[in-house]
Amino acid sequence: MPPPTPQIVALGGGGFSMERENPLLDDYVLSLAGRARPAVCFLPTASGDADHYVVRFYRRFSASCEASHVSLFRRDQGTGGVEENLAAHLLAQDVIYVGGGNVVSMLGAWRAHGLDGVLARAWRQGIVLCGPSAGSLCWFRDALSAFHGASRRVRGLGLLPYSNCVHYDAEPQRRAEYHRFVGDGMRPGFAAEDGVGLHFRGTRLERVVSSRRNGRAYRVEPTDGGVVVEIPLEAAYLGADAGGAALGAACAAA
Amino acid sequence: MSGSGAARDAGAGGGASEAAAVAPEQRRILAMGGGGFTMEPNNPLLDDFVLSLARAPRPRILFLPTAAGDTTGQINAFYARFAGRGCVPEHLSLFRLADVERPLAEIVAEQDIVYAGGGSMRNLLAIWRAHELDTMLIEAWRRGTVLAGLSAGAMCWFEGGVTRSSGPPAPIAGLGLLPGSLTVHADGEPERLPVWLQSVRSGALPGGWALDDGVGALFAGERLERIVSSRPGAGAQRVDAIAGELVRGRLEPELLGAPPRGPATSFDEDIQELRHVHRMRARVSREERPR
Repeated sequence: MPPPTPQIVALGGGGFSMERENPLLDDYVLSLAGRARPAVCFLPTASGDADHYVVRFYRRFSASCEASHVSLFRRDQGTGGVEENLAAHLLAQDVIYVGGGNVVSMLGAWRAHGLDGVLARAWRQGIVLCGPSAGSLCWFRDALSAFHGASRRVRGLGLLPYSNCVHYDAEPQRRAEYHRFVGDGMRPGFAAEDGVGLHFRGTRLERVVSSRRNGRAYRVEPTDGGVVVEIPLEAAYLGADAGGAALGAACAAA
Repeated sequence: MSGSGAARDAGAGGGASEAAAVAPEQRRILAMGGGGFTMEPNNPLLDDFVLSLARAPRPRILFLPTAAGDTTGQINAFYARFAGRGCVPEHLSLFRLADVERPLAEIVAEQDIVYAGGGSMRNLLAIWRAHELDTMLIEAWRRGTVLAGLSAGAMCWFEGGVTRSSGPPAPIAGLGLLPGSLTVHADGEPERLPVWLQSVRSGALPGGWALDDGVGALFAGERLERIVSSRPGAGAQRVDAIAGELVRGRLEPELLGAPPRGPATSFDEDIQELRHVHRMRARVSREERPR
């Protein structure tokens, strides 16, 4: 058997929690699992394990997947989450789906439960890691967290040696802030709009996919002169007329 | 007691603090073994006692639901209890900071009381630290803000406690503002107490207090000042390990008032049911365990 390829799909926003009527990004992630009925585990930590978020996850995935979730707040309360050996459960998944919310709170709780190490191991084993917003930022070395007052540089798990900015189109100041941080020495990285997924194989950006026709992502880096530039990346629309799902399947087989 | 000096010194010398530190005996912490608005929806005695500890006539009280993941249920119960009680209630969610427009330090600094809810102590401490809220709270305590809390929100102020954050009860270190350890729900969750006693005996935790549901231990500085209770029959004990032996002494709480009429215990039915499930599971896993 060839060694497994680590894969991450980092969503600038989107998926079941943000695009109720649009299954394209989640379907793309599932296509990477290379299994008819993949095991998908949801980590809603960044929302404080919000019940409504867990319900929406099951509504979206339980018909087509072996769906489960891990709650770090209610580990022994019989709420249906995985309770015994979290590491063994997570390492037996095909996909680990990380929900959005507050990335600082999430990373703090993960580290306290040792999940940072487990997720790094899962990635090396070839388990597909994905998620929107906080579920994207967490995989990178540096993340621009902008949910509270001034934008802030947050150190993520560092599986991907870049910086990351999400919801790039959602607020006008987001773009300027990210450029400023990269100009001030934050490592170069990737910005994604809502509905856009950055698909990495290993640490290399393999594809940019989108659930929207005009979704965009950018590589953001400083030039020799100190000016920060953004380089548009070609995003493949995953909708019916674009054959995106077929491309995703081909990708999984490669 | 000097074991936790590092935590108590944190924030010292910070020139930014607007108010001066108060004398140590004016630093108050009320640690509850259980009770208050999340557990006793029909009994306000402990929460009224919390309000009475503030010097301000109309105290500002901030609820931190961090340990439960900021559940709406806890937040709603907080406002239901404290609305119309002559105070200014506010909550801070570290998971929904998008709704918070001011710096955390500013919000914490203006409070008369900070009230921490129950839940996962491991998550509580990790998330406070991730946002540096732990140092802000220590600083607030030094300036005279009353700290209160139940369960995880009570044990966190001590050197250590017993948490179910990872399932079975296990010892865990706290912030160390108060010397000794604390265990909670001594009557309501009987599986917790033996783990604490064993931890104290082995030295994994320092000696300390075990509080029943509905019991609050009030500290002035590091000194235990009073033990109060919202219901008759609830108790507390002090336990120390001396030469490897446990020395236990019962402490009799002062009843805060006549509890409201109704069943002997006014604890929330959901909590009763959850505890029943816990006990059933504990029994099952004991029976299943191979010898």
